[in-house]
Amino acid sequence: MRSVSARPSATLQVLFEPEGDARRLHLIMRQRDALRPLFLATWEALSRQFDAAELETWAGAVLELVNVNAGPACLIAYWEASRDAASTREIAPLLGAAQICAEICRHAGAPAATASLNALAIARRSFGAAALSRWWRAMEMLARQAPESVLPAAGRMGQILLPGTIEAFEDFITAGLRSAAGDRNRRLAFFSLQDDLARRMIARDPGGVGFPNVEAEVKAFTTALWGELPLLRGMAGDSMDKPQRRSTISGPIIRLPETYRGVRGDAARGLFRAATAHAQAHLVLGRARFPIGTLKPLQVALVNLIEDARVETLAMRALPGLRRLWAPYHVAEPRGIATAPVLLARLARALFDPAHVDDDGFVAKGRALFAAALPRIEDSAISREIGTLLGNDLGQMRVQFNARTYVVEPVYRDDGLGLWDFDEGAQPPDDVLDLFIDAMRVDAQESADGSNQQAELGNAEAGIGRGRPVAPDDRGTVIARYPEWDRVHGIERPDWTVVREVAAKSGDPHAIEDALDGAGAVRNRVARLVRGLRIGRIVRLKRQHDGHDLDVDAMLDAGIALRSGQEPDPRVFRSSKSVHRDLSALLLIDISQSTCDRLPSGATVLDIERLAVAVLSEAMDQLGDPFGLLAFASDGREDIRMTSIKGFDEAYDRPCRARLAGLSSGLSTRLGTALRHAGNVMATTTSTSRKLLIVLTDGEPSDIDVSDPLDLVEDARRAAVDLRSRGIDAYGVVLGTAGIASAPRIFGRSNTMLVPRVENLPARLSELYFRLARR
Amino acid sequence: MPLDAYRINTEPYYEPQDTEIDIFTAAYSERLPVMLKGPTGCGKTRFVEHMAWRLGKPLITVAAHEDMTAADLAGRYLLEPSGTVWHDGPLTQAARHGGICYLDEIVEARQDTTVVIHPLTDARRILPLEKHNEIVPAHADFQLTISYNPGYQSAVKDLKESTKQRFIAIDFGYPPPSTESTIIARESGADSDLATLLVRIAERSRNLQGHGLDEGASTRMLIHTGRMVRAGLPLAAAVRAGIVLPITDNPDIRAALTDAIAACVP
Ligand SMILES: Nc1ncnc2c1ncn2[C@@H]1O[C@H](COP(=O)(O)OP(=O)(O)OP(=O)(O)O)[C@@H](O)[C@H]1O
Ligand SMILES: [Mg+2]
Repeated sequence: MRSVSARPSATLQVLFEPEGDARRLHLIMRQRDALRPLFLATWEALSRQFDAAELETWAGAVLELVNVNAGPACLIAYWEASRDAASTREIAPLLGAAQICAEICRHAGAPAATASLNALAIARRSFGAAALSRWWRAMEMLARQAPESVLPAAGRMGQILLPGTIEAFEDFITAGLRSAAGDRNRRLAFFSLQDDLARRMIARDPGGVGFPNVEAEVKAFTTALWGELPLLRGMAGDSMDKPQRRSTISGPIIRLPETYRGVRGDAARGLFRAATAHAQAHLVLGRARFPIGTLKPLQVALVNLIEDARVETLAMRALPGLRRLWAPYHVAEPRGIATAPVLLARLARALFDPAHVDDDGFVAKGRALFAAALPRIEDSAISREIGTLLGNDLGQMRVQFNARTYVVEPVYRDDGLGLWDFDEGAQPPDDVLDLFIDAMRVDAQESADGSNQQAELGNAEAGIGRGRPVAPDDRGTVIARYPEWDRVHGIERPDWTVVREVAAKSGDPHAIEDALDGAGAVRNRVARLVRGLRIGRIVRLKRQHDGHDLDVDAMLDAGIALRSGQEPDPRVFRSSKSVHRDLSALLLIDISQSTCDRLPSGATVLDIERLAVAVLSEAMDQLGDPFGLLAFASDGREDIRMTSIKGFDEAYDRPCRARLAGLSSGLSTRLGTALRHAGNVMATTTSTSRKLLIVLTDGEPSDIDVSDPLDLVEDARRAAVDLRSRGIDAYGVVLGTAGIASAPRIFGRSNTMLVPRVENLPARLSELYFRLARR
Repeated sequence: MPLDAYRINTEPYYEPQDTEIDIFTAAYSERLPVMLKGPTGCGKTRFVEHMAWRLGKPLITVAAHEDMTAADLAGRYLLEPSGTVWHDGPLTQAARHGGICYLDEIVEARQDTTVVIHPLTDARRILPLEKHNEIVPAHADFQLTISYNPGYQSAVKDLKESTKQRFIAIDFGYPPPSTESTIIARESGADSDLATLLVRIAERSRNLQGHGLDEGASTRMLIHTGRMVRAGLPLAAAVRAGIVLPITDNPDIRAALTDAIAACVP
C-alpha cells in the first residue's frame, strides 16, 4: 500500500483515482499560483508517511476547508499542522482537525479557524494525541457557544495552557462560558484574559513544579531516609498577596504547599524534599508536644526555632548529607536592621552552621546556650528552656515583632504548629494564636474541604462525566427488575425484586492510598504476581516434533529404540508456548450493615474489603484486565441498591478510589438479585472469553422482608447456577464465620473461598484472582 | 572417595549473624534437612559452603530452575557405545556416597520435581530410583539443605505444605550493621569507613522495601560497589552503577534513592 511513498511528486498524478478527491484538489491547486508550491511541498512530505488511500482522505479534508471558504491563510496553517503531525503516521487526527476547523470556520469565521490551527502548535507541546483531540473538542465548543472569543483565546493559547493539563484547559473553557452567563462582553473579557477569574485560573508558575508532581518521589525519598512512610498532603494554593505558606504538621500528617512560588524545576523538587525531610525529622526524632502555657508569641517562635535546630542536629548526625540539602536556604546575612524576624533567621543560620560568622550579641547568646545544652540534645525540653529564655531577652530588647505577619525562615521549615499542645488547660492568648492563624485555618479547611470538594466532584461527575440519570430521591433510580425463587411453593416469582442505582458518594481517596501504603508486604507480593502474569504465561511442552531444545529423556528413548532395532519416536524436542489471558472480572461487594462490625485491629470489615479491593484493582489495572466494581445492599425486595464504583469502561483513577473510600455500611444482603444484576452487567458490557464474578460477602443472605434465610440462600444458589450457564464463573469469598455453611451451597464448594480471619482478605482475594487468571 | 572433588579444603570466610552455626550443626548431627530462608545475596550459599567445610563433608550444589525434572536430580540412563548406562544425578550421588546436597532456590523448580526429595527427608531416608529399579538408602553422612527466598514466595510459586514441613529453618536477614561492614571490608577490600558508609547506604534502600523496591540492596551488592570504588571509581558513580541502577527502573524511586543516599554521605 505504501508503494507511493518514495516516488517523486511529478509521477503521483498517474496514481490518482479519476474521480477522487486527491485529483480534484490537485486540479484546484493548479489554478492557485500563490498556494501551489506550498501545497506540493506538503503533499510530498505527507506522501512519505501515508499511503494513497490515506492521502485521498486527507485531500477530502482539505476540500472541506476549501468548501467552507476557509481562505488561503487557513489552508496554509492546516498544511503546516499536517506536516508537523505527519511523523506520527496517524491520519485520523489530521482529518479530525480539519473537520473541527471547518466547524469553527462556520461558526466563528476563517480568522478564528486559522488562529486555532496556529494555536495547535502550542497545544501540541503540552499534549499527546488523546489530549489533543479533547483540546479540539473544547475549541469547537467555544466556537459554537462563544464564536467571538475563539480568536482572542487562540491568540493567548500559550498563557492559557500554562497549567499544563487538558483538564485545566477544559475547566477554563467551561468556567469562562459559565461565568459570563451569556454576556458576550464578559466572555470576551474572560477569553482575552482581562478577567480576574480567568487570570487566576491560569496563574500557575510556568515551569513550576507542584506538590502532585513530586509527591511520589518525595514520599519515597523520605521513606528511604527514615524508614517510616510519611503521610503527605498538599494544601490548596494560597493567595498571591501573602507570604509563601510554610509546610505544617498536624498530627501524623505533613501538609505541603501546593507550590513554592517562584521556585522552578529541580530547585522546586529540592525544596519539597528539604521541607519533607525536615518535617518528617520532627515526627521521627522529635515527637515533642509543648504545653503552650503562658508563653508570649516571640517565645513560641523561638522555642520552634530551637526545636528545629535540635531536630536537624540529630538528623544530621545520622545522615550528614542532609546538611547539603538544607544549607542553601540559610541565607540570612549578619548585617542590616536587626528586627525580630531578621534576628530569628540569623540565629537559625548560626545554629545550623557552626562555621558561619555572626557577632550579634543575641545570636551569640543563642549559640552559647545551644552549645551548652548539646549533651542533652536528645531531650526536647532544652528547646522549651532555651527558647523561653531567648524570647524573653529579645522581648526586652524592644525589637519589632508582629505575630500576624511572621513566617518561619528558612522557607523549607514547617510553621511549628505541630509542636504545640493547645487542647490542655486554658485557651491560649490571642496573640499566640495569631502566630498560627493561617495554619489553623488551613487545617480546619482541609479537613472540612476533603468532604466538600469531594461532594462537588461527585456531583460534577454524576452530572456530566458519567452521564447517568440523576436520582429522583435517595433511594436511587430504578434500573431493573428480577425474578426471585419461592422455595416454599417451588415457583419463580416474576419481576419480584427492584434494583435501584444509587450514585456513589465520594470519600477521601487518601484513606485508600494510605491503607495501600500500610499494606506494603501484600502489595509487594501482588506486584510480583502482576509481573509474573504480564510476561505472559509460558507452558513447556515435552516430546515435540519441533522445538528450541532437545528433550534429553525423549532422545535417550529414541536412541535406545534405534539400537534395539525399533522405530524411534521422532518427537525429541522441547518447546514452549505462551498462553494469553482474555479475562474480565466484576467484584461485587457486600456493604450491608454487618460490614461495619469492628475487628480486633479496630478496622471494620468494610475497611478491609475496601483495602482488598484496592489492592486487587491496582493489580488488574496494571494487567490491563477489564474490571468493574459494584457494591450492593438491600432494604426489602423493592429496594436492592447497587452502587457503581467503577464501570468496565471507566479508568481506575483517583475519583474512582474516592468512590471506593466513600462506601458506607448499611441495610441487608439480598444476594440472589445482586448476582442476577451483576450477571447482566457482565453479559452486556464485557466481551472477553472468560468472565469472573467475585462476590465479597460477610455472611449469609438476609433481608428485612424474608423470615427464613434459607429462601434467599436457595434463590442465590439458583442465580449462581444461572450465571454459570451464561458463561460467567461466580466465586464467593466469605469473610468471617457467619456464611461458612451457606456459601458452599450457593457457589459450590470449589467456587467458595472462606476467609475466617478477615484481616487476611487482601492477600487471599488477590491470590484467588491470580489463581483463576492463570488458568 | 567418589565425592572428593566436592570437598572444600580451605575455610570459606563466614561471619556468623546469629546462632545459625549452632543450629545447622545440631540439625546435621541429627541429619535433619535444613531450609535457609532469606533475601538474595545475604550469605546463604556462603554459609552452606562454610558448614560443609566445618563438618568436613562434601557439598554438592544444584541450582533449581523451572525446567528441572526429577531425572535431573535423581539420574537417568545415558547412551554409551556399549549400551545404556545409568548415571546418578547429583541428589543420588550425595545420598549414595554421603554428602550435603544443597538445592539452591528450590521454589524455582516445579512442585512435581520437588517431591523426589520427600522420601529422603523423612524417617525413611531412602531415594527410590524407579527407572533404575533401585532403592538407594541414604548414606550416614547425607543431608539435604535447600534455600528459599520468601520474597519470591507467592500463591503460584510456593513450596507444598508437605515439603515445607520437613525442614528445620534458619532465617537469614541482613546482618547487623557492624557485622555487615566487617564482611564488606573483608570481601571487597574497602576500608572500614567506606564499609560503614555502604551499610548506611544500604539501609536507605532497605527502608524502601515494600514501598517501591522488592528488596533492598544485598550484602553482595555492597561488596560489588566497594570493589568498584577500590577499582578507582568515585563513590557516587560506584553507588549508581552498583546499587541504584540495578535495583530499580522506576524513575521516581531512582531519584528518591539517589537523594537519600546522598544524605548519608558527609
Ligand atoms: N555472613 C557472611 N559472611 C561472609 N560473607 C558473606 C556473609 N554474608 C554475605 N557474604 C558475602 O555476600 C556474598 C553473597 O552471599 P551469597 O552468595 O552466599 O548469597 P545468597 O544468600 O546465597 O544469595 P542468592 O539467594 O542470591 O543466591 C558472598 O559472596 C559473600 O561475599
Ligand atoms: Mg546464593
